[in-house]
Amino acid sequence: MSDFSVGFRAIGSVQVLDLKGELDAHTASELEAAIQKCKQDQTTQIVITGEQLKYISSAGLGVFMAYIEEIREQGGDIKIASLQPKVYNVFDLLGFPMLFDIVESEEDAVSMFSEEPSS
Amino acid sequence: MSATFFSRSSKDAAALLVGSRFRFLLALGICVGLFLLGFGFHELVRGIQAPAPATLAVIYHVGIVLCFALVWILMNHVLKRRQTTPARVLWRTLVIGLLLAATGWGVSLLGRPASLTANGPIGILNGVPLSLATTVKMSVLSLLETFFAFLVLIRFRELVLFKRTRRSERNWYLMLSFMVIASLSAFMAPPQAGVVEDLFIPTGLLLIPAVVLMTINSFRLSWVIFLPWREKVACIGLTAALLALLAFGPVQRFSLSLVPDADEYLLYYSYPLQLFVMQGLIFAILYCTTTFLSLLFHLPTTGDFQQKVGEMAALQSLTNLVNQVFDFERLTTTIVASPIEAGSAQKTWLAMPDPQSGTLRPKVVASYNLLPEHAAALTDVPALYSDVQSGRDVLILEEAATDHRIEAQPGEGIGSLLALPLIARDEMLGVLFVVKEVSRGFEQDDVEALGVFAAQAALALDNARLFEEQLEKERLARELYIAREVQQKLLPQELPQLAGLSIAASSVSAQEVGGDYFDFLPLGEKRFAFIVADVSGKGTSAAFYMAELRGIFHSVGRLTETPKDFLAQANEALSRSLDKNVFVTVIYGIVDLETETLQVARAGHAPAAVIGIDGRPRYVRSRGLGLGLDRGPLFKRTLEEETLPLRPGDVFVFYTDGVVESRDHDDEEYGYDRLLDALCAHRHEEAQALHDALLEDLNVFLGTAGYDDDLTLVVLKWHGLDLFLNRKPQASAQKTPEAAPILPENA
Repeated sequence: MSDFSVGFRAIGSVQVLDLKGELDAHTASELEAAIQKCKQDQTTQIVITGEQLKYISSAGLGVFMAYIEEIREQGGDIKIASLQPKVYNVFDLLGFPMLFDIVESEEDAVSMFSEEPSS
Repeated sequence: MSATFFSRSSKDAAALLVGSRFRFLLALGICVGLFLLGFGFHELVRGIQAPAPATLAVIYHVGIVLCFALVWILMNHVLKRRQTTPARVLWRTLVIGLLLAATGWGVSLLGRPASLTANGPIGILNGVPLSLATTVKMSVLSLLETFFAFLVLIRFRELVLFKRTRRSERNWYLMLSFMVIASLSAFMAPPQAGVVEDLFIPTGLLLIPAVVLMTINSFRLSWVIFLPWREKVACIGLTAALLALLAFGPVQRFSLSLVPDADEYLLYYSYPLQLFVMQGLIFAILYCTTTFLSLLFHLPTTGDFQQKVGEMAALQSLTNLVNQVFDFERLTTTIVASPIEAGSAQKTWLAMPDPQSGTLRPKVVASYNLLPEHAAALTDVPALYSDVQSGRDVLILEEAATDHRIEAQPGEGIGSLLALPLIARDEMLGVLFVVKEVSRGFEQDDVEALGVFAAQAALALDNARLFEEQLEKERLARELYIAREVQQKLLPQELPQLAGLSIAASSVSAQEVGGDYFDFLPLGEKRFAFIVADVSGKGTSAAFYMAELRGIFHSVGRLTETPKDFLAQANEALSRSLDKNVFVTVIYGIVDLETETLQVARAGHAPAAVIGIDGRPRYVRSRGLGLGLDRGPLFKRTLEEETLPLRPGDVFVFYTDGVVESRDHDDEEYGYDRLLDALCAHRHEEAQALHDALLEDLNVFLGTAGYDDDLTLVVLKWHGLDLFLNRKPQASAQKTPEAAPILPENA
């Protein structure tokens, strides 16, 4: 059931979370825990990659919404990179591209942080 | 008591002989046969005034042994099936013994010579009986004596084999076997001319194991301890009397015979038989002696033993009671009361972790003979509790007053304390504290009995807990069922009837309640609004937001002119109550039959599938954020609205993502393409038939996988006003000319 996992990587000051498997109501708590951990570590520059993310449900999308406001208030952001087309479609239907930076590659996402003045 | 014993035993004696007519005749026949055999043989010897010829003697002795073997089997058969008490066994043996002894005494007086001969038995000289009376007496007395020996052995077997084991049974039959073998070995050395000198050596050797086994069997006395006091006293008297009868008999001198002179007569009657009878009587004396002593020693402890038995029985019956109680509070009260009612303690209390406090700190939930607060004040319950928990075994404080975990003063009635873990299914549910006023008050057997009780109590607590959980589960299931019923009523009970338009709709929840919603709202005579929505997540919380959305739809829907207006206001209203991680996707549309248009806006929802009469299906994917995703102006700014013309034959399919995201066993999604294909294939059908066909196509794809999400499907089909006015809508749709059917079989 729970074939979902979050991998942690750091590229400079940016925390990269690699999602793998299916993000649904049962596994959403794992992503929540991962983002909580970033918050505890005072990292607010987060890139979430979805190269191996096969599926995302509405409950999974809710996790992004739950934290984005707080992280942006602290001057950080969550950027989403390298989603599979099918998963991107789910983000797109909801209008997520209007709320998040969703880019094709992880490098783009990371470099977006360095271009922004981190205040 | 003795009267019943007597009547019973005389009846018993009669039954023994009579039993059934057949057995009576058989017994009588054997007795007469035996008498005639003995009598005839010895009369013959007397007649010829010399020992009998060897051949004849062999035939006689073999005949005697075989006949007595038959007697043994018969008696065994008659006496075997009697279930009786030890006192009765002893009483009957004594009574029959006395009867036989008295009979023997009477017979022995027959033709008794004035003086005894110098060597050997009465009336026999050099192995030759001197008179007719002697041969009669010899036969009768031998018969009586043997009869008694058999009776004692068979009777005592019941006592020796009380609570039998394989081993005790083996010892008993081994003893009998050695007795028989030793006796038969005497055939090889019959007494010479009336003088019994030393035992034949092989016979003596064979007697050793027989005697050893007799001794072993004499200590099979476990029945003694279970006797109540009165019965013990009775048995002491009976064994003493039996001993006296056996050891001294009715004659003055010491002899191993019940019946006067019988052992001497038996020697001539049948030497092997005499040996067997002698061994039987020795065993009887041994057994009576050990029984007598054992009874005597156990007499003072009878009271304690009975009390212990009583306590055990009380705990046992309370254990049964405990298992019948499911009410938690009553159960804990019963558990603490039980050790006291059984007389094993003066104070008890039960500590269990308190789930309400969340800390799992133990709390005294029930107590007996003191208040729970006092129990907590007198002892350091948490410390004792955690010590029991870490040891998972009973904790014994022999001198509680000196223990650092006991805060009670010496006068406060805590002398010794037992803390028993209540463990069920490997989980410790609580600790039962049992207190006696005296120090060192708990013996090993108390601890064991209470331990067994604690295990039962733990099981009962566990059962009660499971029972409560089950109740809770059923209650929840019932409430969810009600919630489901209520939610079903929140969906439209009937679909709008509008000229030129046919509608079909359905919604199923993956769980009892769900977050999908569809509804219709008339806006005047020629217009109506519809909504298809999906609250993120599933279950109860989604259901509440769905209900809230319904309220918004029915109130705001009337007041707004366009889908965009409605969605903007709904977003504002919902954003106030939605959790941060919850959002709602909506498709909202207004159908205007007068202008023959459909105005539609999509707030993050799965795009509507549309197909016209031309057979080219497409998705209407206007821009729009889900409700609750943005609570500021972005939502309004980005939301788009489309106005689609209604042409006869147009089909609009609105659905929730449960349709396109349902997956089959191979984890493949149904997907948007399959939906369009199915729509294309069935586009000529009536709204309801089309709706059903789409669901059927989905179900065929899923196979047995089933839905794991809420699923809603709404189909609108426009037939056109003119056609509707002129002809039946069904026919109109079917007969609309069509340029290029994609799937000809549907044409």
